[in-house]
Amino acid sequence: MEIKFDEKKKIAFPRFNHYGYAIRYLVEQGLGAQFVQLPPPTKETSELGSRYSPDYACAPFKHTLGSLIEAVEAGADVLVETGGLCRLDYYGALQKEIIRELGYTCEFVNLAEYMGGKKSGWLKLAKHLNPKLNPARLMAGVYEGVKMAEYLDEIEELYFKNAGFEAEKGSYKKVYRQFLLEMQLAENSQEIKDAYQKAKQEMSALELRIPGNPVRIGIVGEYFTVMDEYSNQFLQEKLVGLGASVSRFMNFTNCHLRAKESTLRPKIREYARYSMGPTTTWTVNSALDYAKRGYDGVIHVKSFGCTPETDAVPVLQNISRDYHIPVLYLSYDMQGSDTGLDTRLEAFYDMLERKKKVLR
Amino acid sequence: MKKKAYLGIDIGSISTKGVIINEENEFLAESYLWTEGNPTEATRQVLHALREQLDGEQYQIVSAGTTGSARKLVGSLIGAQVVKNEITAHAVGTTTLHLDVRTILEIGGQDSKIICVENGVAVDYAMNTLCAAGTGAFLSSQAHRLGIQVEEFGEIALKAKKAAPIAARCTVFAESDLVQKIVAPVVFQGGVSKNAGVVHMFEEELGMPVLVDEKGHLMGAFGIAILTKEQRCEKEFSFDIADTEFKTREITCGKCANHCEIICVYRDGLLIDSWGNRCDNGAVRQQKEQMGK
Repeated sequence: MEIKFDEKKKIAFPRFNHYGYAIRYLVEQGLGAQFVQLPPPTKETSELGSRYSPDYACAPFKHTLGSLIEAVEAGADVLVETGGLCRLDYYGALQKEIIRELGYTCEFVNLAEYMGGKKSGWLKLAKHLNPKLNPARLMAGVYEGVKMAEYLDEIEELYFKNAGFEAEKGSYKKVYRQFLLEMQLAENSQEIKDAYQKAKQEMSALELRIPGNPVRIGIVGEYFTVMDEYSNQFLQEKLVGLGASVSRFMNFTNCHLRAKESTLRPKIREYARYSMGPTTTWTVNSALDYAKRGYDGVIHVKSFGCTPETDAVPVLQNISRDYHIPVLYLSYDMQGSDTGLDTRLEAFYDMLERKKKVLR
Repeated sequence: MKKKAYLGIDIGSISTKGVIINEENEFLAESYLWTEGNPTEATRQVLHALREQLDGEQYQIVSAGTTGSARKLVGSLIGAQVVKNEITAHAVGTTTLHLDVRTILEIGGQDSKIICVENGVAVDYAMNTLCAAGTGAFLSSQAHRLGIQVEEFGEIALKAKKAAPIAARCTVFAESDLVQKIVAPVVFQGGVSKNAGVVHMFEEELGMPVLVDEKGHLMGAFGIAILTKEQRCEKEFSFDIADTEFKTREITCGKCANHCEIICVYRDGLLIDSWGNRCDNGAVRQQKEQMGK
């Protein structure tokens, strides 16, 4: 007779910045299943992803496929891929095929099939993943998981806003790392809240040496690449290292909970009258917002070949011309070297800084 | 007392440039030669050439700076005070010499860029991103295929009665969205600016005169020399460094699947600098500190 020590299903999601912690909370505390927490991605993840992807697929496809393959190698029973508003909606189906062809027999859940469907469909899925499901627990887990994602976004925003000016080098990073660790370990809503408040207090207490007129840079761009640090080669961390204050409107909280596409569109009426794709309205709106608020520069991030974000480029050029704000365009594929990016960012920062000295 | 002088070296993928300037930004010495894949050796030769030109009785180099793709390596070799990217260096160098410039076009061995200038300061720039098409590397490989010296390429091109069509997609010299930003006066520099054919085409295409400075190829080195001067962090520089034994070694870090390539630089067998590790686990730096103690 087969003895099973743990009958809980092991569920894995592709890596996506720090949101993995919130998903883990949702899966373990809400759904009552086990979550496969992957270590930080490496070059091997990208290589795995690239090797088994169609070459025309965008970088997020390759990164997520790499994660999924690593997850199944790490013992996952169920792989989950999400849907989205662009080609991403088909990626689940395609990745399922690729995983099958590679000979893995694990289960594959494509959330695209459930999006836009009935709520009962989701409940059915949840019951399938954990037959002993407690629906009330699930609802609380979803709510608390979302709350955790909001806290993660808020602390991250604070970190990138101020870390460039810390008086003691590394002091911000220390608090931020501790916060992320506590978020990984949190098992109930109180622990989430405590960790958040602690991090916020500690960050506010740190001494800052903000120069009279600091360089402020706004980051805009494609959903996955702009948020996923590994995909954009730690872009924001590099800018903070140069001494800039960095803002990024695009995150889970702003994108899904606060600013709906339909409410943003009237704000950018002068530049775009209709939605050009999944996140272009957010891209254009936040670029315009940064320009109006007197930011020194904007960096546009996209994966190479991302059609909706390519469409946003001419609009950003118009904003750049009208508001006299330089925009740096970055296109990412699976290139691993940092040298080219470092040169461009350093030059961009130097330019903004020198410009400030002379023109103001 | 000797007068102060400042050294700037620009180590590009194809050529290595060096200049020495005085307090008034005047050239005291200059050198330009091929990198030939060996930035260390090229720097050594540039330093030798500069030493011969400089009046050592009258001037003393008080600080040094490096720019270009090998800036970090050469910077730690010669102990440079300023190590800066070539975009900033070019902008600073050109705006110092041409006070009224509005657009700087720069095409080098592997990159092409455009810098927009207002009131003598760079306000926007763009650079080729994913590939090196339309740069000096293309011209030199074509010249090689045709069996012509790349230096003569431009003159020969000007004699053409009819332009030869090439697959334009991969040899465009400027992305279309940048062309609209070009405002006169335009300065064109970088190695490709020495090609009269390209200069001619630019003038025709833009409908405005394009200025090519005779020292245009030295602008990066000049710019970094000025930045070094502005920095005011002075330390006597000795040309003896050109005769010191340097070694570089690449180590592949095995601590995770990233396999970072860590570059270690040794002077006379002693580790002086290392970089390339993405995280703190690539701990060559710590070892260096221990050796320092």
